[in-house]
Amino acid sequence: MHKLRHTPGDPEEALTESIEAVSGPGPVYVLGLGYVDKADDGAGVLVANTLKKTFPDHSFSEHDGVEGVVMDISGRSGPGVVLFVDAGDLKASPGTIEIVARDQIKDTEISTHRVPVALMAAILERSGKRVAIVAIQPKCLEFRADMSEEVGRAVAAVEAALSRLMRERNG
Amino acid sequence: MKTLEVVPLTRVEGDGGIKVTLDGKKVRSVTLDVHEGPRLIEQLVVGMTPEDDLNVVPRICAICTLSHKYAAIRGLENALGIDPPEKAQVMRDLMMLGENVESNSLHTFLLALPDFLGYPSAIAMLDDYGDDVKRALRLKKFGNRVMQITSGRIVHGENPGLGGFGKYPTKNQLTEIALKSKELIPDAVRAVELFGSLEYPEYPEAETTFMSVNAPAKKFGLAGDSILISNGKETDADDYKKLTSERVVPHSFAKRSLYEDKTFAVGANARMINMGKRVGGRAGDFFKEHYSERWLRNPLLNNLAQAIEMLWALEQMPETTELVASMDDPKRAEPTRLTGSGTGAVEAPRGILYHHYDIKDGLVETADIITPTAQNLDDIEMHMKLCAERMLADDKKDAEVLLALEMIARAYDPCISCATHLVTLKRL
Repeated sequence: MHKLRHTPGDPEEALTESIEAVSGPGPVYVLGLGYVDKADDGAGVLVANTLKKTFPDHSFSEHDGVEGVVMDISGRSGPGVVLFVDAGDLKASPGTIEIVARDQIKDTEISTHRVPVALMAAILERSGKRVAIVAIQPKCLEFRADMSEEVGRAVAAVEAALSRLMRERNG
Repeated sequence: MKTLEVVPLTRVEGDGGIKVTLDGKKVRSVTLDVHEGPRLIEQLVVGMTPEDDLNVVPRICAICTLSHKYAAIRGLENALGIDPPEKAQVMRDLMMLGENVESNSLHTFLLALPDFLGYPSAIAMLDDYGDDVKRALRLKKFGNRVMQITSGRIVHGENPGLGGFGKYPTKNQLTEIALKSKELIPDAVRAVELFGSLEYPEYPEAETTFMSVNAPAKKFGLAGDSILISNGKETDADDYKKLTSERVVPHSFAKRSLYEDKTFAVGANARMINMGKRVGGRAGDFFKEHYSERWLRNPLLNNLAQAIEMLWALEQMPETTELVASMDDPKRAEPTRLTGSGTGAVEAPRGILYHHYDIKDGLVETADIITPTAQNLDDIEMHMKLCAERMLADDKKDAEVLLALEMIARAYDPCISCATHLVTLKRL
């Protein structure tokens, strides 16, 4: 059983292994969610934007229109895993990273501003893709504030772990 | 005394809830409580240049980002005496059509429809209505694409500016919009047919007043310099304060609005009530088929109005792109003064959005933003209270009453984050 929660300072390899454990076969897609104007809430978008430089066909952010991206990925044949990267309240210390498996993604819909993650996950699953969330515990969500150091380090760790995995599996 | 609560209110944007206070079967109060924290954008932009203001104010909202941008542009251009070229005006129409499709598709198919069909969410609809869920995603993706082509990005595009655009789309991009909009018309027709076939309960019905912009040239449209009121009056947009009479209430971080001491509504149904006769094409045919006096009383029909409007938006795109393609790219128009005041009124998907600016020596002296949700909140509460009273008198169960109230609130497609950007903090 792989560890699903990673606290700041844990080895990077362990995080890669945890993500790999929920991934199954096929390429890795990253979808970064969040609001960059609200400090740590933008963590997912930062991860996706960094990975997009190396993996432009496999890494997308909120700014690419997530519903359209989900439609495109679900139209691609074969297996694969879609990892939603987002800030999430894990009731843990800032910068903690947790891999949330599909069956733990709640079906509640709080916002109208995009399609709920649970709905996107259901559509992706119907096309044979696995889905998981890589959640990062935020420290600060203030409008126009800077990202906290703890979350900045977590963003770097997630980028490194996903980059390693995508290099191995995405060709 | 008994209290029924829906907290949080789901499938709306932002943090809110509904509280019903009962005394036996008598409804003491029904409140739509807004818990979302204030963001004080109007204070933030004081002292900024108009160009900087334009970068900041759209951040109020990620789904109506272009409405905020456009309302600010109109307000600032009026203040600075800028006369934008015709091609820029047509491009602005096009970007608003994209935003309208993006927002109405999400609300109709995925947020409102589950209630009417008896599903807890769009996710639960997947087995039986999977094609409709995919229709919503296709339409939203296309709306986003139009926004990207016209504004530069899907969210918070910076291409629209004072006096014009940084860059105009290529002919290939315009052709892409024209072809895709035609291809998606059956999806919008399906939305109209779905919402046109639904049963709309009578419980919330009550007369109210509807306001929308008066689009120029007697056309249906999403921006205008005057405001049409369903009582037959028309008022200059500069007089927006008289139309909205803002006030604060203890249970909400969002301001409230009344017109002549009564509630009023803005949104797709208000646009259709005031300008629906101007709609042509299949959307016009559907409007004629479905419009009735009930539209003036039943807020749930806003969902049908949104569906018809989405079809209208798609039908407008080929002609609009053709017009853009037919004109040479103009230079941006320049300010003719550095001090002045101006108001911009546009139709965000949820209704009229006002941006007013006082500019002194080239810097923002005051900014006043009134969002559609803030205008609708009193009207939502009025209809919810009536609905609760009537349903309880009919011995309906608490759960049924709460679902009906949620459906009313959701019908207005409220954006609570938008509505809470402007509350004034008062320290004694």
